[in-house]
Amino acid sequence: MSKIPGYHGIVLEVDLSSGKVERVPLSSEDLAKFIGGRGLGMKMLWDRLKKPGVDPLSPDNPLMFMPGPFSGFPVPAASRTCVVTKSPITSPVKSEYPCASTVSYANMGGFFGPEIRFAGYDGIVITGKANELCYVMIDDGKVEILDAKKFKGMRTDAFDKAILSELGDRRFKTVYIGPAGEKLVQYSSILHTSARAAGRGGVGCVMGSKNLKAIAVRGTGQPSAADHRRFLAALEKARLALKNSSGTKAWAEQGTARAIVANSNAGTEAVRNYREGTFPEADKIGGDVARRDVWVRDIACYCCPLACKKSGLTKGKYGSIVHDGPEYETGVMLGSNLLISDMPGLLKAIYNIDDVGLDQISTGNIIGFLMEAYEKGLIDQKFLDGIDLRWGSVDATLAMIDKIAYRDGVGDLASKGVKALSRQIGQGSDKFAIHAKGLELAAHNIQANPPRGLSYATAERGACHLNGDNIATQNQRAMFDSIGLCLFPTFEPALEEPTLSLLSAITGREYDKAEFLKTGERVFNLEKMFNYREGFRREDDRLPDRFFEDAFTIGSKKGSVLNREQFDAMLTQYYKDRGWDPETTEPSASKLKDLGLHSI
Amino acid sequence: MYREKTRTRSSEERANFTRREFIKGIGIGGGSLLLLGRFGIHAAAWADPGNPVLKMVLVDYGKCTGCRTCEAVCSSHNRPVTIDGKELPGLGNPRYSNIRVESFNPDVDVPNVCAMCVDTPCVSACPVEPDPKTGRRALYRDEATHTLHNDTDRCTGCGSCAEACAAQRTGVISSDPTTGRPERICTLCGGDPQCVKWCPFEALSYAEVKPDRKRYGLAPEKIAAELAKNWYGTADFGGPK
Repeated sequence: MSKIPGYHGIVLEVDLSSGKVERVPLSSEDLAKFIGGRGLGMKMLWDRLKKPGVDPLSPDNPLMFMPGPFSGFPVPAASRTCVVTKSPITSPVKSEYPCASTVSYANMGGFFGPEIRFAGYDGIVITGKANELCYVMIDDGKVEILDAKKFKGMRTDAFDKAILSELGDRRFKTVYIGPAGEKLVQYSSILHTSARAAGRGGVGCVMGSKNLKAIAVRGTGQPSAADHRRFLAALEKARLALKNSSGTKAWAEQGTARAIVANSNAGTEAVRNYREGTFPEADKIGGDVARRDVWVRDIACYCCPLACKKSGLTKGKYGSIVHDGPEYETGVMLGSNLLISDMPGLLKAIYNIDDVGLDQISTGNIIGFLMEAYEKGLIDQKFLDGIDLRWGSVDATLAMIDKIAYRDGVGDLASKGVKALSRQIGQGSDKFAIHAKGLELAAHNIQANPPRGLSYATAERGACHLNGDNIATQNQRAMFDSIGLCLFPTFEPALEEPTLSLLSAITGREYDKAEFLKTGERVFNLEKMFNYREGFRREDDRLPDRFFEDAFTIGSKKGSVLNREQFDAMLTQYYKDRGWDPETTEPSASKLKDLGLHSI
Repeated sequence: MYREKTRTRSSEERANFTRREFIKGIGIGGGSLLLLGRFGIHAAAWADPGNPVLKMVLVDYGKCTGCRTCEAVCSSHNRPVTIDGKELPGLGNPRYSNIRVESFNPDVDVPNVCAMCVDTPCVSACPVEPDPKTGRRALYRDEATHTLHNDTDRCTGCGSCAEACAAQRTGVISSDPTTGRPERICTLCGGDPQCVKWCPFEALSYAEVKPDRKRYGLAPEKIAAELAKNWYGTADFGGPK
């Protein structure tokens, strides 16, 4: 048993170049300071990439699957896994390093992180590059690198079944890439259970660069808790807090899809490549219709009482589609943002994107950009390999998804992200190429929501809708991502005290709210240090011109547009409050000292 | 709230489940009490009006979300730990759970739990000679709790019970990989099943055993295939058969 309470004190490191498998001990100091998940992953990235400018697709870039200290305990909604690596899709305005990019982390629910902990590890680190396509099988202490050539090119839904056939036990938890990841599309995702994804920031591309098709984990162990009695008491409190929460029921009813209509009404939805905040046909793809016509079951992640995931069935022109969705991000990015309001068509697009292993958000964003460039005559049908990429066309969207996944023709250009694509097209298209630092924005539109604009501009992985709209929220969410807890249940205020109690009981270190936030602040600052070292400056915390120039023409927020001076002033204040230089964004020496980051 | 529901259901069912039907249900007709003894059921228990029914954890598959909270609370209760000389609930490692959620693609989740079979194929398959005094094999049904117990001193770890369960019923019983002894036999948590108590979706209830109930005692793969066909129009799971 580990000497560090709440942890195994071990990460499993698999070097695919040499085939070497190592159990690397973790220091109790690192665990105290960086916790697990996103935080510990960030620290290990910092330690392993000692110099800036490492090519994210080189064997040197580690790909880390990080559960947190809550993972593997039956804490409600402690189901998350953070995949941490150096981003293949972000880039600074200028840098002396050709391969400069930000940190990347993508967070997914399901059962994978808990299973890593059952198998006896606090994380899995993949380094190197295999000669041929392979997968890693972890069965408690037994670790094998196995041949995956026979699975080459296999789409994720079929692979999800095929890998379990090969392993012979459904209790294995698996993560894998699709053809897009194998082909190194820069915004490829990593899938789990066919529909859950670590989608953002190109983590699937990094996995593909290592010739790694999948990881399968099965385990029988569990870490211990520092204070067993206190853990049990806090666990019961957490369960009851969510059982008695009105939010819990709401999540089960419609999941995030409730926001498809709500945000459209509020003028905060990505519509027509972020040109508008309201989609007049939102009700055709919203939660009410999905509940009536599509959803068959509510699905939950490990020990979660929210069950926000929905599995559905649609029939129609595109045959019988059985898949998750629509949820807010998938429904808006492939629906409202492309003016698609045909539910079976929307479900088919969502299914195909997961099936080829692309990030739903980036893919919807990029297709929206291309639709606008096509409408404006900046590109023609020939540029699009004959695809008539009009607003609202499901068939054209499906054709584009395949082009991208297999990097065929225009898909090869589009596979590099909207920033690279707009550079290629030129003609002022950068104004409506909707990204920050190279990562595409998500389904929350911001002409009428400046704080969310701040979240997109300052998130260290590039445009992120989940980072938080102010410093306190950013710090808090860095912690949720580090302990292994899902964000959604934390909107219930009564969960706060049990969460702090559980963390204290598991780790044996006492956390009040201030200490919790300070630890999150440390994680956020280390991410900043990493990006700063790569060459990211204030000029990189910018938003596309569209948000300052194109006021909404419809909806409840008609006329809304961001004010550049006000937004700049907001950013300046943000850096000052963070203890960073407002000119360069460099964290001050005193801030780093305060956070214990001055000597790392 | 779940308690209330359970009470309603069981009283309604109790009314039409007599000992006569029980015997009919297992297909051996009246007067075969000797045979019942062979199954490890003390006949007197069934004549006792205070203990007239067998109970089990019943699943409403339409409500199950596959969250596996049942596994955690089962393990926690049935695999306690001793800390400073005091027995406390465990941390809920699903490895030690007696209820097992089997998950399929497309999304179907089937909690698999002891069906509390009236005819106990697992007990019939136990090759250990019955004790002349008690009539018990190594695996037997306890008169007081009506749950199955394994006498570890007499169990040879041959795995016959798990094989019989897999061949004839749900297959929930498995053999411990080291000792070969049966695992995952539901204890009903002494009459207050924790999985029923804590299921966040009210998918589990504490109900009377009714062998003629739809999907009773079926293996999870069979149940999943039927549900997937109803829900999604396909039962193509791939994966292990």
